[in-house]
Amino acid sequence: MEDRIAKFIAALRVAGVRVSIAESQDAWQAITHTGIADRNLFRLGLRSTLIKDATSFETFEELFPLYFSAGAPPLQNLQAELSPEQQQMLRDALQQLQSDLRQLLQWLLSGHGPTPEELEDLANQAGINQATSPYQAQRYARRMRQLLGWEQLQELLEMLWEILAKQGMDPQTIEQLKAKVAENQESLEQQLGEFAGQKIRDNLIEEYQKRQPLHDLMQRPFSSLSQAEMDALRDQVRRLAAHLRSRAALRQKRGKKGKLDAKTTIRASLRYGGVPFELHLKQRRLKPKLIAILDVSTSMRPVAEFFLRLLYELQDQVQKTRSFAFIDHLEDVTPDMQSLRIDEAVHVVLTRLPPGYYSTDLGYCLRQFEADYMDTVDRRTTVILLGDGRNNFNDPAIDTFTRISRRARRLIWLNPEYPAQWGTGDSDMLQYAPLCTEVHQVRNLAQLTEAIDRMLY
Amino acid sequence: MFQMPVFPSVDAVKDALAAQKYIATDEIATAIFLAEKLGKPVLTEGPAGVGKTELSKAWAAATRRELVRMQCYEGLDESKALYEWEYAKQMLYTQLLRDKLADLLSDAQTLAEAADRLAAEEDVFFSERFLLPRPLLRAINNDCPTVLLIDEIDRADAEFEAFLLEVLSDFQVSIPELGTIVAKQQPTVFLTSNNTRELSEALKRRCLYIYIDYPNTEEELRIVQIKVPELAPRLARQAVEAVQALRQLDLKKNPSVSETLDWARALVTLNARSLDAETLENTLTVLLKYESDVARARRALNLGGNGHGRPHR
Repeated sequence: MEDRIAKFIAALRVAGVRVSIAESQDAWQAITHTGIADRNLFRLGLRSTLIKDATSFETFEELFPLYFSAGAPPLQNLQAELSPEQQQMLRDALQQLQSDLRQLLQWLLSGHGPTPEELEDLANQAGINQATSPYQAQRYARRMRQLLGWEQLQELLEMLWEILAKQGMDPQTIEQLKAKVAENQESLEQQLGEFAGQKIRDNLIEEYQKRQPLHDLMQRPFSSLSQAEMDALRDQVRRLAAHLRSRAALRQKRGKKGKLDAKTTIRASLRYGGVPFELHLKQRRLKPKLIAILDVSTSMRPVAEFFLRLLYELQDQVQKTRSFAFIDHLEDVTPDMQSLRIDEAVHVVLTRLPPGYYSTDLGYCLRQFEADYMDTVDRRTTVILLGDGRNNFNDPAIDTFTRISRRARRLIWLNPEYPAQWGTGDSDMLQYAPLCTEVHQVRNLAQLTEAIDRMLY
Repeated sequence: MFQMPVFPSVDAVKDALAAQKYIATDEIATAIFLAEKLGKPVLTEGPAGVGKTELSKAWAAATRRELVRMQCYEGLDESKALYEWEYAKQMLYTQLLRDKLADLLSDAQTLAEAADRLAAEEDVFFSERFLLPRPLLRAINNDCPTVLLIDEIDRADAEFEAFLLEVLSDFQVSIPELGTIVAKQQPTVFLTSNNTRELSEALKRRCLYIYIDYPNTEEELRIVQIKVPELAPRLARQAVEAVQALRQLDLKKNPSVSETLDWARALVTLNARSLDAETLENTLTVLLKYESDVARARRALNLGGNGHGRPHR
């Protein structure tokens, strides 16, 4: 049992569940209290000590039955109780039964079940290598039985009893033999089932090892993510946002270490007879006002999407947000962001400029922004530009960019390209970069999260 | 001396909670049973309003212990969680004892001597008399064993979590002026979290874990019947089924178990006989707290919206 629990914990770890030594120790202690007789209690005891995250419950429930199910009894030797003559009779009878099932009969009669190698061969023939679901164990066990010729077995056994009867074995012994063969048959069936389960368990562990942990996904570039991986990341956005929020809130709190707030301090001192025991400081940090200008051309779309999602979740940390989407012209998407639910909002914003052939023209969009929305930029505003800076050899409108930069509190550029790629081909990034307060490379979610964290200062 | 009831088995735990009108699943009962045996805190996670806080209240009542509750919030710090010196009281005493202090110091020859004499008396001002115990210290310093509930730990800052770790592993706190205070009785600790942020690995490692999800129809029906027995059984079933159906919709905020109970009470108060359209229309706001959710639910339950709320695609 100890061995099995240790193996189970190891399997959990392989499957990506973090189990510390302290926790496995707790599990051992828990078992001394729950006992192992009640399987459900035992399972819950293990679960509450080992699993600390509801998302890992599934893994636990998948692995548990593979490690803790009743073991199959060993086969028993039928011939031990027979007299030498009877044994001879049985051998003769077997000689007469020329059949491919001799192997199976041998196992059932001798009490020596199949060796691990034989089982392995059998399982491979049944094609178990592709199986990764614990629920398939019984199906593969059935296939293994078919391969052994289980269906013809009954017929063959009847023939055997007949031959033995003809040879003059007394009916009582035959009955005993029959009963024992039946028992052995059941045991062998269980053994096969167990072996299939074990094989699948091994497959499963291998499969888990191949699965990409989330942490890695965050480090992978957006452009290389599959649809399923994008979905996995989307689920994480809310949690990431919560993390960012608590960081931002902490900064707000610590940000109070500013100038003395005389008015509040004097008011507080009244409690202590005019002695200013509690000092109150002026709140220095104010929530930022954001203006986001997003390139939503096809190559930028994944980055823009996650940016929007994070921004949406963090609305309460920002005083005011205005969002603009552009490819060849600029569109104000602020109303969509404010009124729609997150999935719809993201969808609408990204498809506001319908897909098709566009030539990105950032310069034109900047001029459009200056003409129509320059009044939204003031000295408390952080302007964020999300784009690759590839301008199709159009006029980069550096003068407009300079004016925006001067007017805003900060101008942050988020670019998914490597710095080495800046300025190559149609990229005007090297001209824009010196005018920005900060430039961040955002190839993956981890970098994007960090950039947004900085943005909320 | 206070005698805590002994719980020899998981079923005993379940029965004790049932006596407090709390229906515990095997999972909950096992975790609490182990928590008492191993002396570990229990961390409960799950959506809001499924009875995480209620569990610790019920357990405190079942074991006849005092419940010390600490609600966490952003910016909660040691002085609000552990202890605080009562400045005002200290000030007041200093003022009132001024004459006595003058007597004490009057025949001192030098300033240094006066300061020494004052220093000798400073214990008076830093004694437990002026200590304002906050929940954590109250739980630790209690003569009788207590149930300590640390509610919504995910709202507190990460620093506070680290501080809490220290307290939860040793059950002792050190106050510089007084020395170390060791728990006389180790409290049973419950932590709840709405999972708005990831708790630290270290904290999770020290706790037993339960995830409480929304109950299924039968479980919820039992809860309603136990908590609001006045509600007619047929109506109770209808109500619970309606709530379960609402949870299937993609709402901003799902109705919680506590809201189901509120609704059940509202139905009793309104003397509702059946769950007809009018009753639903009037009481839906007890269950749903967003206008868009109400509109969505109306449409799903075929009540025919009256134009309120923003339409969704």
